[in-house]
Amino acid sequence: MSITYHVCKYTPVELLTALGGECALLDEAPDVFDLSDQVAHPNLCGFGKSVIQAVMAGHVKEVVLVNCCDTIRRTYDILKEFGNLDFLYLLDILHGKSGCSVDHAKHQLMDLAEAYGRYKGTQFDKNAFFAAFAPTTPRTDPHIAVIGAKMGTHLFSLVEETMPLPVENLTCASNRSVVAPEDQAEFAALIEAYARQLLGQLPCMRMTDNTARKQLFHAPGLEGVVYHTLQFCDYYGFEYAGLRDHLSVPLLKIESDGTTQSREQLRTRLDAFAEGFATQKGATTMDKHGYFAGIDSGSATTDVVILDQDKNIVAKVILPTGAGASNGAQRALEQALQQAGLTEKDLTATVTTGYGRGVIQTGDKSVTEITCHAKGAHFLNPAIRSVIDIGGQDSKAIKVEPDGSVSNFVMNDKCAAGTGRFLEMMARTLEISLEDISTIGLKWKEEITISSMCTVFADSEVVSLVAQNKALPDIVHGLNQSVATRAAALFRRIGGAHPCMMTGGVSRNKGVVGAIEEKIGQPLYIHPDAQLCGALGAALFALEMP
Amino acid sequence: MDLIETFGAKVGALSEAKPEKARKLLAAGFQANGLKNKLASKRASQSDKMLFQTVNKAMVNCLTKPQGNVMVSLFTPCEMLHPLGLHPYSCEGFSSYLSGSKAEQLYLHQAEDIGIPASLCSYHKVFIGAAQMGLMPKPRFILSTSLACDANQLTFRYLSEFYGVPHFSIDVPFEPSPQAVQYVADQLREMGKFIARQTGQPIDENQLAQTVARSQRTMRLFQQGLQKRAGKQILSDLTSELLRTAAFHFLLGLPEVEAYARQLAREIETAPPATGKQLVWIHTTPYWITPLRALFSRTARVQIAACDMSYEGIVDADPAKPYEAMAKRLVYSPFNGPVERRIQRALEMAKTVDADGMVWFCHWGCKMTLGGARLGKKAFEEAGLPTLLLDGDSCDRGFGGEGQAATRVEAFLEVLEGLA
Repeated sequence: MSITYHVCKYTPVELLTALGGECALLDEAPDVFDLSDQVAHPNLCGFGKSVIQAVMAGHVKEVVLVNCCDTIRRTYDILKEFGNLDFLYLLDILHGKSGCSVDHAKHQLMDLAEAYGRYKGTQFDKNAFFAAFAPTTPRTDPHIAVIGAKMGTHLFSLVEETMPLPVENLTCASNRSVVAPEDQAEFAALIEAYARQLLGQLPCMRMTDNTARKQLFHAPGLEGVVYHTLQFCDYYGFEYAGLRDHLSVPLLKIESDGTTQSREQLRTRLDAFAEGFATQKGATTMDKHGYFAGIDSGSATTDVVILDQDKNIVAKVILPTGAGASNGAQRALEQALQQAGLTEKDLTATVTTGYGRGVIQTGDKSVTEITCHAKGAHFLNPAIRSVIDIGGQDSKAIKVEPDGSVSNFVMNDKCAAGTGRFLEMMARTLEISLEDISTIGLKWKEEITISSMCTVFADSEVVSLVAQNKALPDIVHGLNQSVATRAAALFRRIGGAHPCMMTGGVSRNKGVVGAIEEKIGQPLYIHPDAQLCGALGAALFALEMP
Repeated sequence: MDLIETFGAKVGALSEAKPEKARKLLAAGFQANGLKNKLASKRASQSDKMLFQTVNKAMVNCLTKPQGNVMVSLFTPCEMLHPLGLHPYSCEGFSSYLSGSKAEQLYLHQAEDIGIPASLCSYHKVFIGAAQMGLMPKPRFILSTSLACDANQLTFRYLSEFYGVPHFSIDVPFEPSPQAVQYVADQLREMGKFIARQTGQPIDENQLAQTVARSQRTMRLFQQGLQKRAGKQILSDLTSELLRTAAFHFLLGLPEVEAYARQLAREIETAPPATGKQLVWIHTTPYWITPLRALFSRTARVQIAACDMSYEGIVDADPAKPYEAMAKRLVYSPFNGPVERRIQRALEMAKTVDADGMVWFCHWGCKMTLGGARLGKKAFEEAGLPTLLLDGDSCDRGFGGEGQAATRVEAFLEVLEGLA
């Protein structure tokens, strides 16, 4: 039998079941949206695009949608035109739960029952209707909740894998809680009672009055929240904006695009969040002997720090990562060992960090670069309360507790803007070296704004400024301002506190440093070993390993 | 740095430390702009000047007369507010003005900094950021509709909580029907009671009927003008389309808007024959893109003959039943229901003005518009109308790609002109 797929918790699955349907929540995360992109604009949200993709792939033939949002409304229009479906229906649920909204829902449900019964050739079966209600029991044991925009099994399994506690999926379509209505003799009266129960669920963000959602964040046993937003879905970002400074349990925001692609990038954030639950302190260093290595495998460079048992740096190496993270790490470690006059046998423990940490064979443990940067920064200057790290591939801001642990962080790794790669590209366009771009902007005279936040468009803007004969220092100053705006925004998003340390390769760029200082209103602390902060943190974790 | 850029930067700089001074400076800038338009704008037509003055006054009012301020979503019928001397303003209107002053970036970043999604419509992001930074005075109350996009459900609820002011929201059923009209009319009656509670002044039903009748006359005048527009050359610009969006939504019902529509109809009567291409534009216009602005600025080569965002078409209704008439306008709006309704309305407009081509502007973050783009293009081309899908942002110059957008439009024009 063909399955009737739905995407929303307001879908009347009990009614469809009573009419002989087999219902399932559409839960697909494709690798790419190639089929969807052939018929729909790519800037629809991943939720809608995954529905279009599944239908266009041909393995979904029946879909009941709810008038949830602009994306689903347009998804309906697109499927109607291109979907070639056996059954497609859009149910209009209003945004309230007053008498008028219930009445409207009742009529909508009766119309759907008629259309679906006609399609299936079936009659309403009251016993099947009542049997279809599946009561849910919320968790009360210590757990972490995933809340926000719809999260499918693919991503949810990663959250379960990385979190130190049981995880409950309370996102958009997954927190359905429809209670069976009282039995009514008349079909219309029963459907009206059912409509009331459907609308009486814990509201989603599209509903006008969603104050009842507060209970999600005060649930018994709740130890932390992973808040999920979906690219191009705006509803849940608003809830997050209201939450982020008021939640009493740890909160992590992650954003996905609905495909399988972002899984590994999100793993770093989830690992870092999980590290906050499990104390990283471990054994003290009093009885530790030997040497301890930290390897930070970044996109541009691989850095290694070796510490002795008294936390003295005995070797530090920065090498280009090259083609393979694993080879790069091995080369950098060998060079560091040589520098210290040691062999691998002298190493008591090694911890890896950075984007390549998962593929490096060497090492006893891996810790995210977020936790390592905080640890390294705290070691170099215990007064530090925030870190701005601008590397080749990403930029991030980390809020550091007095003990060196992480209390909040944000990352930008979706595009090159605001990263070292952005400055590299602009230096190439301007035909100057990276050394020159770090100082030339200090001699600016005219304020130039580079408005484009997209690297490709900013490049066009720079070309056009060159064509207008604008002075090089003024253009570079504009670029520095652009990078600094992004960095300062990250700093503000974590509720950044001073003193703030800057790490990563861009910390050597005087123009950018000056521009960030101006925007955050305080001088940045820059240590000569700032670029080694991640590797240093990893070495410290190696030293603290039990 | 040009004069407007300097002005925008100054407003932005003041916003961070002294928002009230920033507001005063912005209001002075708007007023000066109004004066410049009145005295120095020689190229603009009389109707365009009238349109500018009407909308500019509304924007100045919202900054300088906070006691009468009512924040509204674009599609909210405002005929109950005008007779009470209240000043409605929408986020699209205000954010466009900030963008015109080259001051939008700071507010946009502010909104994103507090966690508002980057993919939200930039009109809404700029508006929220400006509210957050204290640029706009606190409104007396907020009115909104679920039409035409999700952003209304979010922004106005958020701002109601932010300002701590009452909010009334109208829920528009998806499918047009007489029952849906009645449902919305009942909500509008409740909205009237809400306004009366907030202001202490009951709604005068006669005045309301007269105001709604004026709205109907205004739309009829515009419709009559549109019907005579085919083959005529009406020189205007991208900004006027945005101003008209304000005039035919939250300012509809004002005598000034009726006078504008009458003047425009007169100008159409006497306009010379068109020599360039006539386009129908879907959604708002990205007037900040300098080369595009130049391309459309009172040039004979190409004109926007109709824009579906600035004029949705007339819905026959009885002004003696003002609540039903306003409800009908919402329920039967081409922006409600499946996108097929919007496409059909655009095709009707194209036929009325004898358009040469269509531009479907996919404004960043507007899922309801960009989601229908491919369907629109298919339908328009099947009707024999060449169509350009143009991605961009009407409000945020940080979107970039000025040159790329202009190249696309010019290439499309060359196709229409038979050069390509």
